[in-house]
Amino acid sequence: MESVLEQSVAANPELFCPAVFGRAVHALSRVGDELWLDPTVKGLALRSVNSAQSAYACFIFSPLFFQQYSFMGCVPKQSSKTVKCKLLMKSLLPLFRCLTSIERNVECCQISVSASSDWVIIQFFCRHGITKTHNLRFQEKEALQAEFASHLCTNVLKAPARLLGDMVMHFPVFQEEITLSATPLRFSLRNYEESGESQVKMMYTEMSLHPEEFEYFHVDVNSEITFCLKELRGFLSFTESHCLPVLVHFDSAGKPVCFSVEDTLFEASVVLATLIESKSTDSIQPVGIQVHATSRYVDAAALRVHACEGHGETGRERITSSQGSTVSPQPDPIPPLPQTQQANKESISVNTSPASSMVCTLLFKALSSEHDDNVCAATPPVLAGYSDEEMMEEFCPKSPSL
Amino acid sequence: MPLSTQSQDDEEHYVLVASLDNARNLSNILKAITFKDHAVFTATPNGLKVTVEDSKCLQANAFIQTEIFQEFTLKEDLVTFQINLTVLLDCLNIFGGNAVAGTSTALRMCYKGYGYPLTLFLEEGGVVTVCKINTQEPEEPMDFEFCSTNVTNKVILQSESLKEAFSELDMTSDVLQITMSPSQPYFRLSTFGNSGNAHYDYSKDSDMMELFQCTMTQTNRYKMSLLKPSTKALALSCKVSVRTDNRGLLSQQYLVRNDDGQICFLEFYYCPDEEVEEEEEE
Repeated sequence: MESVLEQSVAANPELFCPAVFGRAVHALSRVGDELWLDPTVKGLALRSVNSAQSAYACFIFSPLFFQQYSFMGCVPKQSSKTVKCKLLMKSLLPLFRCLTSIERNVECCQISVSASSDWVIIQFFCRHGITKTHNLRFQEKEALQAEFASHLCTNVLKAPARLLGDMVMHFPVFQEEITLSATPLRFSLRNYEESGESQVKMMYTEMSLHPEEFEYFHVDVNSEITFCLKELRGFLSFTESHCLPVLVHFDSAGKPVCFSVEDTLFEASVVLATLIESKSTDSIQPVGIQVHATSRYVDAAALRVHACEGHGETGRERITSSQGSTVSPQPDPIPPLPQTQQANKESISVNTSPASSMVCTLLFKALSSEHDDNVCAATPPVLAGYSDEEMMEEFCPKSPSL
Repeated sequence: MPLSTQSQDDEEHYVLVASLDNARNLSNILKAITFKDHAVFTATPNGLKVTVEDSKCLQANAFIQTEIFQEFTLKEDLVTFQINLTVLLDCLNIFGGNAVAGTSTALRMCYKGYGYPLTLFLEEGGVVTVCKINTQEPEEPMDFEFCSTNVTNKVILQSESLKEAFSELDMTSDVLQITMSPSQPYFRLSTFGNSGNAHYDYSKDSDMMELFQCTMTQTNRYKMSLLKPSTKALALSCKVSVRTDNRGLLSQQYLVRNDDGQICFLEFYYCPDEEVEEEEEE
């Protein structure tokens, strides 16, 4: 039962895929301590959730993001079978720590995931003939799933690229929660403090915007929602570096808010729980525009994947040869190659051309992106693992702060 | 010569006198080997060699040739003593460690011989400081018997390419494994940490690889804690040569240019970690 992901990307020196991927990892690292890596036929998904389960983030890279994206479920009947790996953020983040160095030196980045072993192999092919190979142990886990029907949200905003980032910049770094307040005529952000704390010593900050500042402003129901700022900041750092407008879907207090961006090659979103006890004027009446939650990359059904039976072989230490070298103190636990490929079964040779026996993923510099404005596509972060009740509980805890 | 406070008598008694217009030409290079308190100084007509050792598995040598010194007078063929290196560095930096543009500390180092302290005369901006540091009986430095005839594999790399790798090394790994081979992966640094393994491969065709002479495939592991001191040397250097012999002993030689552009050398010898020794003949 193997599921092998193979992705590779053509060399295009003008574009900066590995750094984009790295920025996604950075943004996710500000959400949770673990990262779910889900290769699917439709794309590579990276997800994280915070420990309080009040913030969830998802980045999905379409196969077009990669020069070559090859996802192989070796059992045709179970074509939706995928590998779901959970990595520790502290294992993955150091690999992408210095983005400027990656932009400068990395010519090609390759990611391989194999269900038959418990390794994710990330390789950086750098200038000067230097290759860095990282073999990370993963745990096989149920896919991280969260339900958020953005098309059911009554309020939708589309903010130009830097707008939200420029707003949150004004809040102190230690500010944990902010309150977003929206009426058809006004949008504002202000800091939130739990009542009872010393209100004398605080500095209140509030920023208001006129709806005209937004590319799209649809508020059906006056709403005031309070949510965590920290996870949002990480997400906004990512969006700013790509100059992407941000879609905001929200409802009344207690229901989650979703910030999302979409590009031709990837989509990203963060879903945050909101405080129930925020003042909320109206009950929800989902009237009006429904945002179509179509995703060009992610078919909801395809993501509803089954958990693989994990082999659970962690703790086995070995040195995986990245270049087919026979130098290895321990007997070869090299993942077997997929059936369709001719095989030198002894090794994974990354220097051979991608078309031949590679059990690998190459993530590289993206193809040139034509940024078409797809206004209506919103991102359904993913699918439900939770019932509505659980969702309310998980996403709307009384205090969403970490 | 500002340091004219010595009497004629003293001059005659010194077996070693070494002078530098810029004490940093000595202190900078010694900083790279200050992982232990004590060092053995050996002066020969070739210059000064400073040796530091750790737990019988690591030896570091700094070589400052005669030509670096403005004055180098040796009355015997070999003068050697042991001294507290930390104290010595503190004295060399007595006018402040930071380099101020246009000023430098002048140094005159004098030694009367066995049993006498090492006397340092340091001058900056007209202010003179005299330091006397006690010396000890020198311990015989280990002889690793590393000679070029036993060298199996040798590479010379530009330091720049290694600096990044060393700054990224997974420090949760107990060992650094070095693989050198005439075939793939040619030159590989590997770590085995808590989250997994990492390998840094340098192709023999890399433009960072100035010399590649590997005759057999060797893989050896060295304790990571021992390798840490060499990162300081790496930071100072522009080139590094890495050699292993048939016993898996590792020699690193760093070429360092001092403030005046002159060349000094730093050398490190490491014993392989006893638990794993792998050698394969190609």
